[in-house]
This record gives sequence, structure tokens and C-alpha cells, in this order.
Amino acid sequence: MAERFGPGDRVQASRTDPPYHTRLPRYARGAIGTVMERQGRYPLPDRSARSLPAEPEPVYAVRFTARELFGAGDHTVTVDLWESYLRPAALEGNR
Amino acid sequence: MARINDVGGMQGFPPVAQEVDEPPFHADWEAHVFALNRALIGRGVYNLDEFRDAIERLPPQEYLASSYYEKWFRAITTLLAEKGVLTEEEMAGG
Repeated sequence: MAERFGPGDRVQASRTDPPYHTRLPRYARGAIGTVMERQGRYPLPDRSARSLPAEPEPVYAVRFTARELFGAGDHTVTVDLWESYLRPAALEGNR
Repeated sequence: MARINDVGGMQGFPPVAQEVDEPPFHADWEAHVFALNRALIGRGVYNLDEFRDAIERLPPQEYLASSYYEKWFRAITTLLAEKGVLTEEEMAGG
């Protein structure tokens, strides 16, 4: 599977709240950020947490502004996110 | 909040207490819990993400009231029962 995103791409994190372990922090759900770099491929924890086979998929370092995440602050927060958690920000109609 | 999301970022708490020269473990049982978890994952009884999921399945009030290795111990006992390694009765009996 080719990487769907690359550095500079604007992405939006999923808003779903799964009933199992996920590495997508709750504070980043639905937030829009920028891909900083590709981080390699790793099995999706959301699947291995349920004892399911997990093929490696691309992981990205995604930078969010504190204002986007928390409504205030001048710093940024960079989170490693699996491709399944992300979609292109441009396709997002309402937030 | 339906369940704990154990990846940080929960707000509304005081600053994390900094401990000078903090030891790796504060009691011997913590080291045993640490070793037990490494051994069980190493032997493939469960994987790291199943372990993290088991921590997050603790009732939120219990998660918030437990220390770091108390959460580990609870998760390990949950998984040992679910994987059929030990029964609840065997664990209760020591």
C-alpha cells in the first residue's frame, strides 16, 4: 500500500470513539493538522488490541496547533498517527 | 467519555509530582509485575496492544484511583483469565 499522505499535507483526524484501544488521542479527534514526515509502517494497534491480524500501514508525524486542539496556546503538538486515523482535510465539509 | 483513552492529554489535573532521584520501582511487587508482563508478552500469551486495551477497560473510577503498576497488575489478571491461563479462583487462592 502506497503512502496516502506526505509532508505538508493537511489532514483531519477521525472523530470516532472506538470501544477498544487506539493510539489516536481523544484530544486530537476531529482536529486538522499538517503531516511533518513519514514515520515508517507499523501494525494498526486498534486491530492487534482485539487479537486481529494487523498488516503494517503508514504512520505519520502530524503537527497540530494548540489552538486547534485546546482552543488556546501558542505551541504545537506533534502526534504519530496511523493512516487509518486520517483523511484529507480538504474533503471535510462541516466540522 | 465512554472509556479511558490511556495515551495522555487528559485535562483538569494538578501538575505531575516530580520525585528527586526516583527509583525504578517503589516496592518489590512492582518489579515482579513489570517482569511478569514482559515474560507474558514475550511468550505470546497476549500482545502489547491487548495489554493496553485491558488497562483502558478498567472502570474509569478505578483507573483514576490506581497507581501505575496497580493498573498493570489489574490488566495482567484480566488477560490471564480471558486467555484461559488462570481462573479467577486460582488467582484469588494465591
